[in-house]
Amino acid sequence: MSSPFVVLPIIFQLFLAVLLMFCWTQKNLQKLISVVGSLVAVIISVVLFAAVWKEGIYTTQAGNWVAPFGITFVADTFSTLMVLLTTLAGLAVSVFSVGSVRNARIKFGYFPIYHFLLMGLNGAFLAGDIFNLYVWFEIIIISSFVLITIGGEKAQLEGAVKYVTMNLLASVVFLTAIAILYGLTGSLNMADLSLKVAEIENRGLVNVTAILFLVGFGIKSAVFPLYFWLPASYHTPPPAISAIFGGLLTKVGVYALIRVFTLIFIPDEFMINLISGMAAITILSGGIGALIQNNLRKIFSYLIICHIGFMIAGLGIYTETALIGSVFYLTHDIIVKTTLFMVAGLIFKIKGTYSLRLLGGFYKEYPKLSLLMSISLFSLVGIPPLSGFWAKLFLIEGGLSVGNYWLVGFILLGSFLTLFIIAKVWAGVFWKDSIHIPVKMQVKYFHELKPLKRQAMVGSIIFLSVLSLSIGFGAEYVIQVASKVAESLMNPQDYIHAVLGQTN
Amino acid sequence: MLLAVLSGFFVALGLPLIIKVFKGPNTLWVSLFPLSLFIYFISKLPAIKDGETLSSSWAWVPSLGIGLDFYLDGLSLLFTLLITGIGTLVFVYTSSYLKGHIYLDRFYAYLSLFMASMLGLVLADNIITLFIFWELTSISSFFLIGFNNDNEASRKSALTALSITGLGGFFLLTGMVTLGYVAQEYQISALATLSEEIQANALYPLILVMVFVAAFTKSAQFPFHFWLPGAMKAPTPVSTYLHSATMVKAGIYLLARFTPILGNHEWWNGPLIIVGSITMVYAAIHAIFRLDLKAILAYSTISALGILVFLIGLGTDEALLAAGVFILVHALYKATLFLVTGIIDHETGTRDVSKLSGLNKVMLPVGIAAILAAISNAGIPASFGFIGKDLIYEATLHLGNMGYVLTGLAVITNVCLLFAGFLAGIKPFIGPLPPAFSKLHLPPATMWVPPLILASLGMVFGLFPMVVDTALIKPIVSSMTLGTPTFELKIWHGFNIVLLLSLLTIGSGIALYFILKPSEVLFAKATRFEKLSPESAVNQFAKGFVSFSSKWTNFFQNGYLRYYLITILSFLSLLLGYRLFYGVEIYVDTSTLSDITLYEAVIVLIMAAAIFFTVFSKSRLTAVASMGVVGYCFCLIFLFYSAPDLAMTQFSIDTLTVILFVLVLYNLPKYLTLSDTRDRIRDGLLSLIFGALISILTLEVMNETVTKDITSYYAENAYILGKGKNVVNVILVDFRGFDTMVEITVLAIAALGVFSLLKLRLKSIEKE
Amino acid sequence: MEILLVILIGLLYAAGIYMILRRSLVKLIIGLILLGNGANMLIFLLGKIVKGKPPIIEATGKALEGLYADPIPQALILTAIVISFGLQAFAIILVKRAYKVIKTDDLDEMNATDEDL
Repeated sequence: MSSPFVVLPIIFQLFLAVLLMFCWTQKNLQKLISVVGSLVAVIISVVLFAAVWKEGIYTTQAGNWVAPFGITFVADTFSTLMVLLTTLAGLAVSVFSVGSVRNARIKFGYFPIYHFLLMGLNGAFLAGDIFNLYVWFEIIIISSFVLITIGGEKAQLEGAVKYVTMNLLASVVFLTAIAILYGLTGSLNMADLSLKVAEIENRGLVNVTAILFLVGFGIKSAVFPLYFWLPASYHTPPPAISAIFGGLLTKVGVYALIRVFTLIFIPDEFMINLISGMAAITILSGGIGALIQNNLRKIFSYLIICHIGFMIAGLGIYTETALIGSVFYLTHDIIVKTTLFMVAGLIFKIKGTYSLRLLGGFYKEYPKLSLLMSISLFSLVGIPPLSGFWAKLFLIEGGLSVGNYWLVGFILLGSFLTLFIIAKVWAGVFWKDSIHIPVKMQVKYFHELKPLKRQAMVGSIIFLSVLSLSIGFGAEYVIQVASKVAESLMNPQDYIHAVLGQTN
Repeated sequence: MLLAVLSGFFVALGLPLIIKVFKGPNTLWVSLFPLSLFIYFISKLPAIKDGETLSSSWAWVPSLGIGLDFYLDGLSLLFTLLITGIGTLVFVYTSSYLKGHIYLDRFYAYLSLFMASMLGLVLADNIITLFIFWELTSISSFFLIGFNNDNEASRKSALTALSITGLGGFFLLTGMVTLGYVAQEYQISALATLSEEIQANALYPLILVMVFVAAFTKSAQFPFHFWLPGAMKAPTPVSTYLHSATMVKAGIYLLARFTPILGNHEWWNGPLIIVGSITMVYAAIHAIFRLDLKAILAYSTISALGILVFLIGLGTDEALLAAGVFILVHALYKATLFLVTGIIDHETGTRDVSKLSGLNKVMLPVGIAAILAAISNAGIPASFGFIGKDLIYEATLHLGNMGYVLTGLAVITNVCLLFAGFLAGIKPFIGPLPPAFSKLHLPPATMWVPPLILASLGMVFGLFPMVVDTALIKPIVSSMTLGTPTFELKIWHGFNIVLLLSLLTIGSGIALYFILKPSEVLFAKATRFEKLSPESAVNQFAKGFVSFSSKWTNFFQNGYLRYYLITILSFLSLLLGYRLFYGVEIYVDTSTLSDITLYEAVIVLIMAAAIFFTVFSKSRLTAVASMGVVGYCFCLIFLFYSAPDLAMTQFSIDTLTVILFVLVLYNLPKYLTLSDTRDRIRDGLLSLIFGALISILTLEVMNETVTKDITSYYAENAYILGKGKNVVNVILVDFRGFDTMVEITVLAIAALGVFSLLKLRLKSIEKE
Repeated sequence: MEILLVILIGLLYAAGIYMILRRSLVKLIIGLILLGNGANMLIFLLGKIVKGKPPIIEATGKALEGLYADPIPQALILTAIVISFGLQAFAIILVKRAYKVIKTDDLDEMNATDEDL
């Protein structure tokens, strides 16, 4: 079904960003616009999701040029799900930013760029054209560059240099891949590519091109051995920024990998083995990396890597069941990782440090906050029936059904490491007695903030925690969505028909 | 039944609030909650006795076939009664034991959470639901063991316990998913009929391993047993409830529950017999050298769990009967001893058994409870323990030659256990009362009544076994064997070899009690071999794993950007190279290539030279200028090959970049060659390889013929539909106008970023 | 001619890679620019190069006819050039700022964030 509604999530964020730029100096107005706007964005994406759920795939041909001649935007269940999650996490981080981002940063365009980033994310999820996807990736990259450097502190800049370099390298690889794909097919529309790539006789070249896509997106989604930018940078920016990064940035890469490797490049045996192997080592590297860290945000950064491995594992197993697991995990992880980085930020605001050695005493001093934080921590572990649990069922069953036992083993190892690490964090931050931490002059502590700001920070965490609880307890609904997504990923004919029309 | 299970979760959530509202010193009323559950389950006794089973279900995640399906038969009834019955007594006991503790509300909340999870576990009729509750018991026990959270040892043992049981949990998950996958059935009560198919499946051994590891970790079997003594850091009510009566029996429950499904196969029986017997002997010997009362009890519990695993492993009707009876026997006397230990600890401040004696003089009812429990533990005739022990010997003796060895092991175990029981239950209460303890007095009734009730039950069931025989024991056995059991519990079996063995056990146990006096010296001797124990092996492994982790992590995440890039690029080159040379036939089709004209060749040559200068120049300015030259040559190539727009854009952008470079980077530090020759050769090689791969790939792609229908469409329609003669422009502003819009946005964002990078200086107060 | 361009592309990629592996921030940026140029050239070449026939419809015509250069790669490259300019400008300023704050241009001295804080 064709409807211009598909691009609304993108256009709306653009509108917000531009509007915010007009209020450059009025920081309170900016905060208001961002929060209200994010709320409206959630409503838009809910409506879009519901429409697609009910009536099937929506497409928009930009400028009304029939596909594959113009740029197509496709809203299928997968992309609208991702847009929905983006706006939900986006709303929470927007509210959290109101409480936690310092005025100096707001005066230099924090909010407009934040909404540009969300626009880029929505664009990437809805893009139905591979070059357009590249362009959205560039929007994401440049806005994340600006966000990660805004403030320009030493640690931020050091992290940013690595972040920028490796992401630009990823862009080059991606662009190279597009060049070669265009050379092979003469097309850029993803649905059209799906058909054309299938017709190419020289499979060898297709496989080489697939490698370029794998590495290009692999860098962005932080899989082994391409993830190095992530632990080098995610712990450096202010909490709100690392929350949105932790929740969403790597997931775009995962989304792109899943999309491209189900629609355009159907993996051959080598590719399946390669992806599985990368997934396994990603899980291992992330897990053991987190094991030895002492900085709370670094622990979470490595856990992102570990869990990216889970999602990629679903792609490596390549059955419908396993993809349900990947999509479910993606859903869970976006919400929970965003929350975790906000939790880390809140802990920092309260105690003035991220160090596991110095932190302590939360359980005694902040029992209610501890309970709240425990939700996201234990959701991450996947203590049943919390949200992280269900996806693993599918991944394990998928792995068994194709006889990929060692990958199942790695998934279990990753789960075990996560369990251990979170328990360690719990014992260290919440149980252990508080140690006297020297007061830092440059930190504005939680108790010094205005009540509204405090409520904003806690409120956004509550919001996402409730979401992750509902993902866990309402698993049935998420599974239905994920099943539909996985089914359409494995059978892309509907996608292709929706884009190119029935004639093809 | 659904409500009965779920109520615990709601209570756990609401309790801290309610307790705050009814702020008062006495929290005895909280016990009404487990008591009501106990009454509920005991009211089901008649129905179960008549061979009925009860079930209830509520679809939760139907697409996975997962529901809150509960099923009550003899086996689950036994456990529910233990959970709620002992639970009630523990709740009562806690109200005094932790009176006035600031976190008493949380404690009750965790305890209720645990109770509910445990009930869910033993009632679950769905293998995934079973796992869910299983994990919940691990987590709630984590919070309970670490309850004294300011104590580091306490935190550590909570972590160890969670790691071990959590590890087991993941094994169980895999086992259950595999089982569900193999059988295409998630309902436990339905799985038994599929037993043959499951056992014939190639995945059967995998399921077994998974289930075994899960059960062994939870029920503290060798070599995973060591978390249990550590978990004794928890407050005594927790040790009583979780670590003797209920949670540690979850593994036993699992094995018992799956006996009809997975059992009766040599791969099932063998490992269970071996692990069970190792555990029972190993732990029993360990128990007799301990000084700490709780440690003695912990090891004797492990040993008892070993006996149970062993019996389930034997798998004969008699052995299963013995197991069923022994679960009950053990729960009754061991919970008593733990509660008594808690009282001793609470009142005297020590748990060192060598320092305790004569407490009967100051707390007689406690002493009576303890001594009764020790008698039952010893299996002295007329106690319930006697019946239990008889059944064990009967089960082992009927196994032929192998049976004699096993019987021997059972005797050794029982002798040690008897000794341990006497040490914990009798030694502290008889003999002279040390003067230090003479001022002690009897604790409140809420503390001594619970153990006394449990101990008395042990005697009542012993004297009148028919009370439990048909009502409880028979349904238990029939849920494990799926048949109708034909036996009768009796105190007196006549004079036979079993009786002789019982008497031998009792005799040597008592003799041992008089010979072996617990002391530091003995303890030190016995713990000399700790280095070889599974615990230190695991610790060693953990240490090794951590050091491997930091080596691995620091190897890859070493802080040097160029090594990151080298890793990424080598990975990419390796894969590209492999796929190129092993999948693509490499040839050059010269027929499609255009000729080389002189001026083009010259430009390419200039470009190559410019690239060379950019890379190797010692001066920053030269490098930047050469880079500019590269860009300008690009313009020319674009111009020759029909791309005037590109040439113009490239020209302006290139100029801008160079100007920006020069302006901005003018006063940077000296432009040095920082890396040494070796590095440069390595990097040069990698770069050349990568460049060559891209070139080869390009050549091969150029061999492909492509029909460009989109290009032709643009060619035909750019003017007709797009109203423009310059097709590139039409594409940019119309066909692919969205790209252009986004591209402008990129510039805008970059401008904002440049602005903030240049202008924004955080004041020191604003940094964080 | 294509052969020469193919070699040139390889050279650009190689030079770019070599430069981003240096320790100097400035060289790093130069390397990224060279890589971007290489990718653009690749798009251009793989769109099949045609000499002297720009995709501009003749004043009298209504459509491109005969042999003409593929306009799509050109449009893509235009977009890519402009985008990379934005990114490069940002990166250049980042280098400047990084030098001011960290007081070095040597990447090997920028690894505090990878160490355990």
